[in-house]
Amino acid sequence: MAQKILAIISLWLHLTFILVSSPFLLGVIGKTKAFFAGKWGPPLFQPYYDIAKLLRKGCVYSTTTTWIFRAAPMIALAAVLVSGFLVPMGGFNAPAQFWGDVILFVYLFALARFFIILAALDTGSSFEGIGASREATFSCLSEVALFLNFTALALISKNLSITGLVGGGVSLPWQIIGPALTLVVISFFLILLCENSRIPVDDPATHLELTMIHEVMVLDHSGVDLAYILYGGAVKLFVLGSFLMAILIPFKTQNIFMDTGIFCSGMTGLAVAIGVIESVMARLRLNRVPYFLISAVIFAVFALIITLVRGGH
Amino acid sequence: MNLFLTSWYVLMAASFLMLLSARVKKICGYLFLSSLIFSCLTGLVSAIHVLCFNTPEVFRPHWQFPFGEFYIGIDALSAFFLLLFFVLMLAAGIYGYGYLRDYAGKRSLGAHYCLYHWLSASIMLTLVAKNAVLFLIGWELMTVSAYFLITFYDEKESVRKAGYIYLIATHTGTFCLLAMFLLMGSRAGSMNFDQMMAVPFSPSLVVVLFILALIGFGVKAGFIPLHIWLPHAHPAAPSHISALLSGAVIKIGIYGLIRFILIVKHFPLGCGILLLVIGAVSGVGGVLYALGQHEIKKLLAYHSIENIGIITLGLGMGMMGQAFNQDTVAFIGYAGALLHVFNHAVFKGLLFLSAGSVIRTTHTGEIDHMGGLLKMLPWTGYLFLVGSLSICGLPFFNGFISEWLVYQALLGGVFHFDIHGIIFSCLGVASLALIGGLAAYCFAKAFGAIFLGKNRSKEDCHYKESSFVLCGPMVGLAVICAWIGLFPSMMVSFSLQAAQAIMGITVPLGMEETILDPLLKVTSVLWIAVFIFAILFILKKSLLKTRPVRETETWSCGYAMPSSRMQYTASSFAAPVLRIFRTLLVFQIKTPKPKKHFPAETSLSSSVLDASEYLFFRPILYLIKKLSRKLNWIQSGHTQRYLLYIFFFLLTLLIWKLH
Repeated sequence: MAQKILAIISLWLHLTFILVSSPFLLGVIGKTKAFFAGKWGPPLFQPYYDIAKLLRKGCVYSTTTTWIFRAAPMIALAAVLVSGFLVPMGGFNAPAQFWGDVILFVYLFALARFFIILAALDTGSSFEGIGASREATFSCLSEVALFLNFTALALISKNLSITGLVGGGVSLPWQIIGPALTLVVISFFLILLCENSRIPVDDPATHLELTMIHEVMVLDHSGVDLAYILYGGAVKLFVLGSFLMAILIPFKTQNIFMDTGIFCSGMTGLAVAIGVIESVMARLRLNRVPYFLISAVIFAVFALIITLVRGGH
Repeated sequence: MNLFLTSWYVLMAASFLMLLSARVKKICGYLFLSSLIFSCLTGLVSAIHVLCFNTPEVFRPHWQFPFGEFYIGIDALSAFFLLLFFVLMLAAGIYGYGYLRDYAGKRSLGAHYCLYHWLSASIMLTLVAKNAVLFLIGWELMTVSAYFLITFYDEKESVRKAGYIYLIATHTGTFCLLAMFLLMGSRAGSMNFDQMMAVPFSPSLVVVLFILALIGFGVKAGFIPLHIWLPHAHPAAPSHISALLSGAVIKIGIYGLIRFILIVKHFPLGCGILLLVIGAVSGVGGVLYALGQHEIKKLLAYHSIENIGIITLGLGMGMMGQAFNQDTVAFIGYAGALLHVFNHAVFKGLLFLSAGSVIRTTHTGEIDHMGGLLKMLPWTGYLFLVGSLSICGLPFFNGFISEWLVYQALLGGVFHFDIHGIIFSCLGVASLALIGGLAAYCFAKAFGAIFLGKNRSKEDCHYKESSFVLCGPMVGLAVICAWIGLFPSMMVSFSLQAAQAIMGITVPLGMEETILDPLLKVTSVLWIAVFIFAILFILKKSLLKTRPVRETETWSCGYAMPSSRMQYTASSFAAPVLRIFRTLLVFQIKTPKPKKHFPAETSLSSSVLDASEYLFFRPILYLIKKLSRKLNWIQSGHTQRYLLYIFFFLLTLLIWKLH
């Protein structure tokens, strides 16, 4: 019984931690971009204000839409939040960990994406159709890269749960298998940029509909729905980022506060890195994006090969 | 066994009675429904009995015929396939009864119902046969009765053509099966499966047999490149028959392959690898072709090929696991493949039935002419959505559970095999991931184009939802999808039972728990997701209570006159991904040459052609046709000449034998 209560408490702690800290990354990215542009920029907590503002607004629905349009933001946010339960975050162990949870992790993202795409098609707008089509195309490739990365990590750590793969006291052998891990990190970073629709795959700042991918899909959402979608995006970035952090920071100090502190500074560093990339790079031409993703696949394949050779098989 | 035989007799008796009473439509229809329900329920009980108590049953009345014997038995493997077959047969049959009511008086439904029962009875016979000749008899009866069911709309030329392609393709397969069984039988000295199992086959013979089995069963199952009959036959048939074809008939090919694996048992590693590669190719190829289709049933037919690919990936892992002596991997591989067989039958049945309901109301299969049907056909639409979510392997539904098991087997291979095994397992993981992503893409396209947005052909159209007889069976199938997705333990243990029958050893102690434990945790995580969804829903409701909620036109970036023709079509939706894989596909773009100096009208049509049909089979068949024309002089049409041929043939035989 006591164990059950502890499990529930850890679940709530995890959820609160994700909910509270995820929009912060967006704020850091915005601040970094403003710094590069020589501006003061919006405050760090601007994403929180945005979400709070949207939550207090009414909604406008298209007469074309159905129940799917209204449910999709909630389904997407719920799926992404639950996927966060599978990933350890600094001092917080993953509340749910079991053999093969990586598969569930990927498929929860797929579920969220599927419904957002359906919601885009539900409006009957050609702009949103374009966005949905592009999002679906790129996610196919990034899913392959993601699974190959997981396979490489599974070969290294001989485990199949996310905690066993990257965190939870099992330190990854950077000395022995460093090159492979570096490749995994690079590949994973590329996937992260794609999945969160950042430059160079997609530009979250432009409002020219024809060049956008993710933004154009949510043109018709408003009010609470838009807030959920923004929140979902932030949580997705946070969850994938914390996965990357768990690979990059392979040790634990056994002090919860210390671990969480290291984790948080790592995440801030990641956000700064994304901000720097957004400031110094241009968006890729759309027909180049598949090459970008295929390079992520190839990095993962090389990581696999190195692991196989070094792993003594 | 008695229950099974009762079910079989009832089907056969009812089929003859229906022929006799074909004139009295009411009686014929009720006879069909009552015999269908009765024999499905008794059959289901007999199959579940075998699976629950793990008691194989045999029936051997010592009734011999040339080379064969009436010898049937239900082991766990047969029972598993019978289970899925009865579920699908019941749903498709009831649906078919409602679907065909429009044709009462115009066509002889009695013959159709009779053939439906014949198809069911022959599939049942094939699944329980323990003698090769009996198996082939059932197999042929199934092929022929399916042919007549496919060509229901035989006034259309395309339907007759599809029927011919089906008949020729499957008979080519049967030829290979005949050769295979004769080889095995001559080595074993008997056509009974039991004797064949007792004989060790030499490794080179095993390879030959395996290739023959792959072709023979692969044609039926739809392995790429032998799949060409599927995309023709599925759209031609009435929808409930398509559901049965895709859900049951092609699975008999898989059943045959598994039965063959069970009989021969010891395979070299290469066979498992070959099967894995075939699975990967069929899976990725099937879903890519599906993306290129704009006809709903053709799209679903290609998805059957994709799912056969996933099943074959699991079977390949099972065989590789056996070759590496890794029983756990083999068990999970076989169990995953079998569970996917069951799941595919259920969700593909559901998809075909709901597609049929759409076609029945809109009178078209072109998805680019549809749109916005969810508002008019809510039941059909949401049931199609359930089917789509299941087939994409998304959580909450059954496809996820079986794909999960196949992933477990593949990743198990990564852990436990040697370097060759690991490389191929990684290939399997990558292809399964690609299949998953592309399938989700394709069903977003299909569901989006058919049910969402606005209707593309008519601005204001009013369709009526299908009746209860059509929706009822679909609801049943959808419930099974969700039930397995949320409470997987029973079906997983059933598929382990069947895997046990394939391997010939019992499941190691505690293995069922190690497989089921993560799955139960998955479902508990999913329940948390439902809980969070509920919280978000309540939050939204309470926030919007005091706020204005307006309804208006879709925002089209300031354009004042949006029309439904401006929507993104299914073909443009799929275009970006097809462009990435353009080297693997054959595109055909037709546009007429501009006429006169100021051409007013023009058109453009693009389609994705089937490479194996257009680049492989057509040239070969063309060559055969050309060669056989050269031999035309043999066929003179004079009876005397034919008698002469026979005489010479007998003479040569005589000389050869006396020599």
